[in-house]
Amino acid sequence: MRTNMILLVEDNPDDEALTLRALQKNNILNEVVVARDGVEALDFLFGTGAHAGRDLTIMPEVILLDINLPKINGLEVLAKIRKNEWTKLLPVVILTTSNEEQDKIKSYTLGANSFIRKPVDFQQFSEAIRHLGIYWLLLNQAPPVVKG
Amino acid sequence: MGPDSRRLNSQSGHHYLKITMVALGVACAVAGGLYYLARLYVLNEAERNIQAVLLAHRGMHRYIQEVMHPAFYKLKAEGLVAEKFYAPEILSSSFIVRNQHKAYNEERKAAGLDEIYYKMAALNPRNPVNKADALEEKLIRMFNENKEIKDYREVVRINGKDYLYVALPFLVNQPKCLKCHGDREDAPLGLQLRYPGQGGFNEKVGQIRAIESIRAPMEHQYFVIHILFASSFAGLTVLTWLLFFNTRLRKMVWVRTQALEQEVSERYRAEEEVRKANEVLEDRVKERTAQIAAANKELDSFAYSVSHDLRAPLRGIEGFSQALLEDYGERLDDTAKDYLGRVRAGCLRMGDLIDDILQLSRLSRGEIHREEVNLSAMAGEIAEELQRAAPERRVVFEIAPEITGFGDAILLRAALDNLFGNAWKFTSKTEGARITFGRQEEGGKDVLFVRDNGVGFDMAYADKLFGAFQRLHSFQEFEGTGVGLATVQRIIHRHGGSIRAEGAVGQGATFYFSL
Repeated sequence: MRTNMILLVEDNPDDEALTLRALQKNNILNEVVVARDGVEALDFLFGTGAHAGRDLTIMPEVILLDINLPKINGLEVLAKIRKNEWTKLLPVVILTTSNEEQDKIKSYTLGANSFIRKPVDFQQFSEAIRHLGIYWLLLNQAPPVVKG
Repeated sequence: MGPDSRRLNSQSGHHYLKITMVALGVACAVAGGLYYLARLYVLNEAERNIQAVLLAHRGMHRYIQEVMHPAFYKLKAEGLVAEKFYAPEILSSSFIVRNQHKAYNEERKAAGLDEIYYKMAALNPRNPVNKADALEEKLIRMFNENKEIKDYREVVRINGKDYLYVALPFLVNQPKCLKCHGDREDAPLGLQLRYPGQGGFNEKVGQIRAIESIRAPMEHQYFVIHILFASSFAGLTVLTWLLFFNTRLRKMVWVRTQALEQEVSERYRAEEEVRKANEVLEDRVKERTAQIAAANKELDSFAYSVSHDLRAPLRGIEGFSQALLEDYGERLDDTAKDYLGRVRAGCLRMGDLIDDILQLSRLSRGEIHREEVNLSAMAGEIAEELQRAAPERRVVFEIAPEITGFGDAILLRAALDNLFGNAWKFTSKTEGARITFGRQEEGGKDVLFVRDNGVGFDMAYADKLFGAFQRLHSFQEFEGTGVGLATVQRIIHRHGGSIRAEGAVGQGATFYFSL
């Protein structure tokens, strides 16, 4: 079932607040689930740990994934998402501070759908979030939900 | 030849002298011994010759006295020979032997041999030919005075030839001898008639009347001996010399061999050292490479963490300043808003700085992929992009066609971006701005340049231009992080090229570079 929900994987509370603010500013009022590290994100997606028993038919429309995360980093999370039958087709947008070549290469190699760098300038960041919302939540045709 | 072998040579020179001395000494000693033996042999030969002659003569004497005389006296007694008959040719053994010896010498001479002097020397001979000479007289007296002396020997030299001279007492007067050698009146008449003087008379019993004086030549033997001696001495000397030269050659060969062996071992050692040094160097290179790789890795992770961690809080500060302005702007006065604006500007600038540092750091790492790059086309693209970003500006670009370079396209693009970006920036306040990209020759090498007619710079600061974070203008005049030219220089250096700047305040700047 599609709920237009957004999964934001972000450990930095400032970035979380700013991202939420940017979404709000751009009138993207979809539900946002925030996971504060890689383990939590995977628990949510796979219905394990704190999210055991969650209805796994409810999957995010898009995952905004930071790379630099405690415990399991974003790239590992991405790899696990792509390996899992339930989540392998979910759109994943890497949203990171880094503009390192290696991060871009690894992200796309692991099957990221997009790579967006968080600018320092909040106005630019807000603009990026606006585009992101328009594209992934309105324009983009999401893949069919995988039946478990 | 090194000083070592020269020293060895002088050593062998001493050795040479020593060996020569020893060889000559040995040769002389052997020669001396040989000479002594040869002399003994020659003396012995002469002695035997003399002995042979004397024994023959004695035999003759005995035959005359023991065979002829009794026969003759018998004939006399029988009256077949007159009582007064006397003829030395028939009766005197001395006469007969003397003449027989004369004939013997004539035969020797005819046979090509040296004569053997022989004389029955007497002090008072009947025949004057037997008169003793000075030496013989002396010897006769000596023998008479010392009866125990039985012979006299001497090697004498006459006309340059050696002779063995031997004298032996021949006759001791006995009573029967006085028949003919006693008083003249007692002697046979024939004898008295034949020898008118007192010679041969008045002898006394017990006195030595005559000596046999004989002298045999040693020359022939000496000649043979000399030849033998000379040839053996020569042979010995030659042999010694050969021996010596052999030794010397051996020595030389030995010395050379030693030198060669030493050289070989030295070379081997040197090679070994070089090999070891190489190994050490290789190890060191490996070690350093590993260290550099490790350092690079550390730098990478440092850059990575800078990229992530340094920007995140910056974004927080910037974002929340913006949020403050947006959400609480109406409650802030202009000063507060200005301050917040400054906070935001600082954040943005720091973000740019971080990006530029990261780019500079990235340029120092990674490999260069060289290829033929069309720099003119690249410059054209950059000019277009600059113009597009600020369409309101009027800048004339002069880009020489067909300038190519052999280098890393991405890095060269970054370098040209920076150079053109600078030119663009510093001509922003110039009327009739003009940016030129060209090529010129300097000392046979192609040098490229980017020239502008912008604000220029003071040549006094030319060396500071390329330092990271070095800026010659205030931020209010021209923005920038001061990393751009450092980046350009690093790119040029990584290509093995060089870069320099020329300019003057208000008269533009030119950046010359080669790859």
